[in-house]
Amino acid sequence: MNKEVLVIGGGIAGIQACLDLADQGMTVYLVERLPSIGGKMAQLDKTFPTNDCSICIMGPKLFEVERHPNTQLLTYTEVEEVSGEAGNFTVKVRKKPRYVEEDKCTACGLCADKCPVAVPDQFNMGMSTRKAIYKYFPQGIPSVYTIDDSACRIFKGKKCNICAKICEAKAVNYEQKETVFELNVGAIIVATGFEVFDPSDIKPYGYRTIPDVITAMEFERLLNASGPTGGHLERPSSLKIKAEIRQLEKQIKKAKTRLKSLEKKSEESGDETRKALEEMNERLPVLQAKGASLEELRDIAFVQCVGSRDLRYNAHCCSYGCMHSVKEAVVATEHGSELQSTIFLTDMRAYGKGFHQYCLRGASEYGIQFVRGRVAEIGVGDDGRPAVWCEDMDTRKVEERPFDLVVLATACVPSKGIENLSSMIGFDLDENGFVKTDPNKPANTSVKGIFVCGCAEGPMDIPSSVSMASAAASMAVQTVKAL
Amino acid sequence: METELRTGVFICHCGINISGVLDIEDLCEYARTLPGVVTVQANLFTCAETGTSEIKAAVKEHDLNRVVVAACTPRTHEPIFRASCQEAGINPYFFEMVNIREHCSWVHRHDKEGAQAKARDLIRMGVAKALFLEPLETFRSKVEPKALVIGAGIAGMTSALAIANQGFEVILLEKEVEMGGLLRHLHKVAPSDMTAAELIGEKIAAIEKDKRIQCFTSAALEEVTGYVGNYAVRFSCGDESYSDKVGVIIVATGGASLKPVDLYNYDGEHVITQSELEIKLKDGNIGAKSIVMVQCVGARIPERNYCSRICCMVGIKNSLHIKEIVKDAKIFVLFRDIQAYGVENEALFFKAKEAGVRFIRYSLESPPVVEDGKVKIYHAGMGKEISLPADLVVLSTPIVAHDDAESISRILKVPIDEHKFFLEAHAKLSPLDFATSGIYLCGNAHYPATVREATYQALGAASRASIVLSHDTVERVGTVAAVKEELCSSCFACVKVCPYQVPHMNERGKAEIEPMQCQGCGICVAECPAEAIKFAYVSDEQITAACEALYAA
Amino acid sequence: MNNFEPLIAVFSCHYCSYAAADLAGSSRIQYPPNTRIIKVPCTGRISVNHILRALECGADGVYVAGCLEGTCHFVSGNFKAKQRVQSAKSLLGEINIEPERVQMYFMSAAEGSKFANVAKEMTETIKELGPSPLKGTNTQ
Repeated sequence: MNKEVLVIGGGIAGIQACLDLADQGMTVYLVERLPSIGGKMAQLDKTFPTNDCSICIMGPKLFEVERHPNTQLLTYTEVEEVSGEAGNFTVKVRKKPRYVEEDKCTACGLCADKCPVAVPDQFNMGMSTRKAIYKYFPQGIPSVYTIDDSACRIFKGKKCNICAKICEAKAVNYEQKETVFELNVGAIIVATGFEVFDPSDIKPYGYRTIPDVITAMEFERLLNASGPTGGHLERPSSLKIKAEIRQLEKQIKKAKTRLKSLEKKSEESGDETRKALEEMNERLPVLQAKGASLEELRDIAFVQCVGSRDLRYNAHCCSYGCMHSVKEAVVATEHGSELQSTIFLTDMRAYGKGFHQYCLRGASEYGIQFVRGRVAEIGVGDDGRPAVWCEDMDTRKVEERPFDLVVLATACVPSKGIENLSSMIGFDLDENGFVKTDPNKPANTSVKGIFVCGCAEGPMDIPSSVSMASAAASMAVQTVKAL
Repeated sequence: METELRTGVFICHCGINISGVLDIEDLCEYARTLPGVVTVQANLFTCAETGTSEIKAAVKEHDLNRVVVAACTPRTHEPIFRASCQEAGINPYFFEMVNIREHCSWVHRHDKEGAQAKARDLIRMGVAKALFLEPLETFRSKVEPKALVIGAGIAGMTSALAIANQGFEVILLEKEVEMGGLLRHLHKVAPSDMTAAELIGEKIAAIEKDKRIQCFTSAALEEVTGYVGNYAVRFSCGDESYSDKVGVIIVATGGASLKPVDLYNYDGEHVITQSELEIKLKDGNIGAKSIVMVQCVGARIPERNYCSRICCMVGIKNSLHIKEIVKDAKIFVLFRDIQAYGVENEALFFKAKEAGVRFIRYSLESPPVVEDGKVKIYHAGMGKEISLPADLVVLSTPIVAHDDAESISRILKVPIDEHKFFLEAHAKLSPLDFATSGIYLCGNAHYPATVREATYQALGAASRASIVLSHDTVERVGTVAAVKEELCSSCFACVKVCPYQVPHMNERGKAEIEPMQCQGCGICVAECPAEAIKFAYVSDEQITAACEALYAA
Repeated sequence: MNNFEPLIAVFSCHYCSYAAADLAGSSRIQYPPNTRIIKVPCTGRISVNHILRALECGADGVYVAGCLEGTCHFVSGNFKAKQRVQSAKSLLGEINIEPERVQMYFMSAAEGSKFANVAKEMTETIKELGPSPLKGTNTQ
């Protein structure tokens, strides 16, 4: 009998399963493909219905996983091959090179300060940038930096070793290689989570084509104090204009300096530069005025069931979307009391403990308007703002309503790697692509010794994921003990 | 015997993270002047292997009995340095950490002078506090490797079996004459379509076969005392009274289905509940063709403002089962919002629509009216009131807490919410634990749950409970409050203020705090007017010492 | 011009405001260096005496920074702290010392910028008020 267990996925479900097992004296390997554990929950700003700060309540668990004497944390690592049977699985894993020695890095961040390459920050849903050497998120565990070899100059054959030079701990190692090794475990828990549905497939909603139509997860980052705006609620178009203004101001400054030096030399005529400068000086106030008009954010629409309960995309319900939007509306109102939130919904699914009261409070204290009706289309209004077309099922009126910002409550879809994992291990998926289970043995997959928890099994909220993670841990212990 | 206090101070450069802003040499010089300090060292990285070795070597060389590290945040690094202290042979709580990175060099980059002054102050405060540190011991208490599970419905039975399978003994209490809970009265469960009888039959057979599980039916819990690992429980079974010791307790007391007295002309004959419909389904005799179901009967109303989570799916499941028996049945489901969350539920909802079950929305403001043989409802889509023929009206009522929830909550000293469902330690991350360690909850006792949900919650609660059971002892680091009995004036202030109800009056009429139960917040310590509560982890002396060292004139 | 640099004692709880201060650090949010944190497990640990002692010992201002209301790690500790801060304020009022020298703040562990803003705000408030009349009265 092998008392060791493998947990695949370091989101809240995997973390809870890992801790339950470790606390019961089992040795646990926790494999996470990203540089840090934390999963989707780490990206959330607040959680419903208590408005608890997500990373605050999760942070201690991240530490615990790292420090527990019975856990071995394998981040930036993927499962490659699984063979064997319950009680005796052999698992081949591949640990990607961070190019930073985990045991030496002190996460001081100097390297990222000095790194010259900036790329979109995945954790902030691409709404801000991070450096080529980066920490996945500030509270990430393990607390070490990683070099993104798809962005780093060194790996593009260019000259640069700024990070290696500045690192006093001598942690940077461009020569680091990936490592492949085998684990021997008695049971495996699949906690690979979910993906957020990409709404650009739904053309009438204009995601990515209409500015200020964003996803719920993007909005989550916009609300967050360590997000791209530092928690200042702003619409993307305003952020874009601000970036343009900064760029233009830089160019104006540059042109002025150039003009000055030309005047000194007085050899060549500065006419062209002067003309460009004039143009830029004219453009600046226009941009500034536009920026100022976008500053204030008053009306937000939340569109429910985006890609969910829709046979063209996903037949299933995402389970948490209604509450998620109510929470975002509540939290947004706390950012600016002048704000008006409108939620366009099909059914209000507030079925958990305290959820219904939370919605009632959302309406009475935060003035959230609930409109029953499925949004048909999102267009651009005369003033350039997004406009929501919807038939209100109660009044049976079709209306076009402009908003400053439209937030899409996107579907919960299976994680990308789950198909590969299912064929690797041999467990069945259901017709929606989630891991198939027996309703009366809810943590069991179709393969003995392989268990599942959290959104890998189907859409569910955080407490359900946590409960199910403990259930999977119990099943893994029972399996190992029965052998 | 007073031992001489010998403090060693270690100041971290953290590469240039600290030394880039602060003058480390100056800080070292300054620290040498502080009372009790016998050695000061600067390290490039105090947390690195070389740094911790230097601490250990210095402890030996200078016979240190207090260690202060001025570096980054204790939230990440304190455990490392405490371990170094322990390895060097001194109590890990003779360690104090001063944060001169996150709280100083990183946030006052542009005011080096101010930062330097602050760092000196912080080190002075840390050193002053270190003089008053106290060694903390770990309390250990034996664990009774046995669980008490209260309630033998699907949740309680599942928990009991899981704990037994993990190798521990279980006492399973059921207040009714037989096991099975709410499922005893149900026809089939969704989505497996297994009969409820078959499902609970399997569990009951497994429990009866399992020698590790002792099941008591017609039983009642009477008294519980003790703490995690060591609960003394008393219960009755029939006329007999039993006492036993258990390490953990699982609350799986379930819920009841609301009886819709005075609602929608409920008569138990033509207007019945879903539970009563289940009995008809079991018998295979519906006796009606036109059926109207009304959802949210007595739920999501001001007096009972919660959604009972499962009733929509019960209605949908039962409408499909009616269709199996009465092929040409006309079924209308009047609902406010259909709670078909997730994959399976939504699929079943879709299946019902395909099978011809009609769904009509109503609002709280204009509820349906049940009359003889018909139900009137305002149809928003048609913009008018319509009348639906109804040989049978089925009311979907919520799961409500059992009448005895309050008494069980009192016996166990665990909280219930306004609807008398048991209240978990944390809504998000501790859904199966109570704030009191060693007591767990699952199933309808927590909140309405489907069979699938109750099952995984039960397995999860078993896992949580097994964490305690799988160890011979439970440990509690001595970061706990303790009453100095001679100073206690028996005023009950601590009893009233403790968020965990730990302090109690002992047989001498003085307050007593069981260290295994204390959570170590120190709220009672500050509340006690007689200053009779000692909190060695963060003592008044330590706080005062830090305050006194705030300002160096 | 006001050259007075106040000394401010901060009682921070381990779970929220201390963590917020750490986050302000790792996010490099700059704020005035006038605060000195004394860490406690929960702000409920802090008594009126501790607050007054800090003032006696030379602090020009004191604030207690706990978890957001309703999210205290120890259920109700921050609520107790709020009451005690209120008592300390009224005591100060009775001896004609500005009650504004003592404040209660609530913040989550994710609010690094709030920690910095509060430190700034408090520094400015105390600067306005000038040195505490209790400064140097510590007769211990």
